[in-house]
Amino acid sequence: MARIELRNIQRKWGEFWGVRDVNLAIEDREFLVLLGPSGCGKTTTMRMIAGLEEPTEGEIVMDGEVVNGVDARDRDVAMVFQGYALYPNMTVYENIRFPLRMRRIPPSEHDARVRRAAEMVELSEFLDRKPAALSGGQRQRAALARAIVREPYVFLMDEPLSNLDAKLRQQMRVQIKYIQRKLQITTVYVTHDQIEAMTLADRIVVMKAGAIQQIGTPDQIYHDPANTFVAGFIGSPPMNLVAGRLEGGTFSAEGIRVDGLPDRLGGDVVIGIRPEDCTVADEGHLSAEVFGLEPTGDVTYLTLRAGDKLIEVKADRSYRVPLGSGATVAFDPARIYLFDAATGERLR
Amino acid sequence: MGARRGARGESRLIRYLILGSWALFCLAPVLWFLSIGLRPRVEIISPQPIYVPHLSLEAWHMIWEDWPMARYLRNSVLAIFGSVLIDLVLAIPAAYSLSRYRYRGRDDIGFYILSTRMMAPAIVAVPIFFLFRSAGLLDTIWALMIVYAAINLSLVTWIIRSYMLDIPKELEDAARTDGASDMRILVEIIIPAIIPGIITASVIAMIFAINEFLFTLLIASTPNAYTLSVALANFTGGSDGLIYNAIALVAFLAFVPVFLVVVAIQRHLSRGLTMGAVKG
Ligand SMILES: Nc1ncnc2c1ncn2[C@@H]1O[C@H](COP(=O)(O)OP(=O)(O)OP(=O)(O)O)[C@@H](O)[C@H]1O
Ligand SMILES: [Mg+2]
Repeated sequence: MARIELRNIQRKWGEFWGVRDVNLAIEDREFLVLLGPSGCGKTTTMRMIAGLEEPTEGEIVMDGEVVNGVDARDRDVAMVFQGYALYPNMTVYENIRFPLRMRRIPPSEHDARVRRAAEMVELSEFLDRKPAALSGGQRQRAALARAIVREPYVFLMDEPLSNLDAKLRQQMRVQIKYIQRKLQITTVYVTHDQIEAMTLADRIVVMKAGAIQQIGTPDQIYHDPANTFVAGFIGSPPMNLVAGRLEGGTFSAEGIRVDGLPDRLGGDVVIGIRPEDCTVADEGHLSAEVFGLEPTGDVTYLTLRAGDKLIEVKADRSYRVPLGSGATVAFDPARIYLFDAATGERLR
Repeated sequence: MGARRGARGESRLIRYLILGSWALFCLAPVLWFLSIGLRPRVEIISPQPIYVPHLSLEAWHMIWEDWPMARYLRNSVLAIFGSVLIDLVLAIPAAYSLSRYRYRGRDDIGFYILSTRMMAPAIVAVPIFFLFRSAGLLDTIWALMIVYAAINLSLVTWIIRSYMLDIPKELEDAARTDGASDMRILVEIIIPAIIPGIITASVIAMIFAINEFLFTLLIASTPNAYTLSVALANFTGGSDGLIYNAIALVAFLAFVPVFLVVVAIQRHLSRGLTMGAVKG
């Protein structure tokens, strides 16, 4: 069993809030992803779970027991550090073996476990090297191997794949997911990468400036964002957000007019529409100048300029249009999200 | 192209000339000492300039045969190495505590340790004499070890602390989450990472110890505890007058090992002397 609760966690440095009002229950065997922009408190949250940082206020509870004040050594977490934190005087082999030695795992098992972990991260050829003689991506994989070499109470992974190329990253993603499912170990995973978040997570926690914005499954986060921040953070390209006025079911802003929206709402709002919910059409809600066109192979991204706003549209892969000409797109009114213009909160 | 290479060769020549003369300037006293040590006594005190020196091992034989130089040398070596060992055993945990834990008065303690270095030796000389006398340690190598260790402890602690401060905190965090105790972290992570600092601090401590004179004179009264530096003083008194060539030779012998060690680790040493002393 490994159920972790964060109750009302705050972390302050002087007057600066690194993390504030975090309430979060991480379920047993859950794969939880922390997602948010740089400096939003992801690492700090992790470090508090690991016991490397004490919360200024609030309780951390593991399996019903408050663990505030319990030393990191006694919490039995395995952490991949953002900066790798490999021991420079030890070889990769010794680095991976270190937690086994410290945790008094029978020495007869060490060799097999170290080699298996190294194999999982494709580092078998580099076991005799010192960290200084590894590339950034190899160091990162060594750090990952050092975490997965044992079966801890919880895995904490702070951007463990950020330095790998796309192909290796995809492979490692599959490996991590496989290991986590096989060992059934509760995992907290930090990333900037949305694909990683969407593919790995049972639930995603979106953070901003130290506070949680939304907790939900990848589907919920994607299809049911709680506010403009989450809506604008998730998706690639992210949701288009346009400020304007809503009256009698009609939204209007410079160059845009959309009918058929709920008429019980009104006032200053922001509408959100995902690029894939826009279609290029002869008749539509928005006619504007073509500002950019990015064919990627399987899809073409079209950027339109309406006033000072850029609208992203996912168009068919064969769609081509000269820059500077006009294009018209239609939105699916059922797929339009409404947010309060002042607070950014979702209007339902 | 040719002109450019010529210019570069020229500037290189100039650089070597400057460095060469500087080296000569620094080494001249040492070589002069060696030459004094290797010449007969009569020749040294002759007021006439001598252009063709006669080499002689007179002083060499004298220091080994007429004086218990081997014993002095042994005393020096034991006292110095013993003191450095004591310093390291005390300084490494002290530096670890000063660099890693937060507690009230930590910086004051750190400054206090350093401030012992600023004390004038004369002030503590008399109390130290009485202390060792009551302890029955006068005229022993043990007393020398303790005094040398005490003199150098602050500097050694400070240098090692500065190296420890350079170790990223994440490294220790990783070791702690991996399950290592503080002692394990110190032994397996910190110490291997600061070996250059430990060597630097040790060498600096050795240099100070080998040159220490006042306290050694105070403690040592017989060849039991005489060291090279005090032995030197023996050649200045007595019925024979000043024995310059023996003095020069002993000084040279005391200088050579230090010089070799310094050359071997000079890269670390400059860092230890500047940063180690200044930082934090
Ligand atoms: N020891 C500290 N003292 C003061 N402020 C700190 C300290 N550690 C972190 N912070 C601040 O707390 C905030 C959150 O930091 P944290 O490292 O958790 O961010 P993060 O979400 O992990 O960012 P990134 O994605 O860039 O790693 C940052 O603004 C950071 O400057
Ligand atoms: Mg971080």
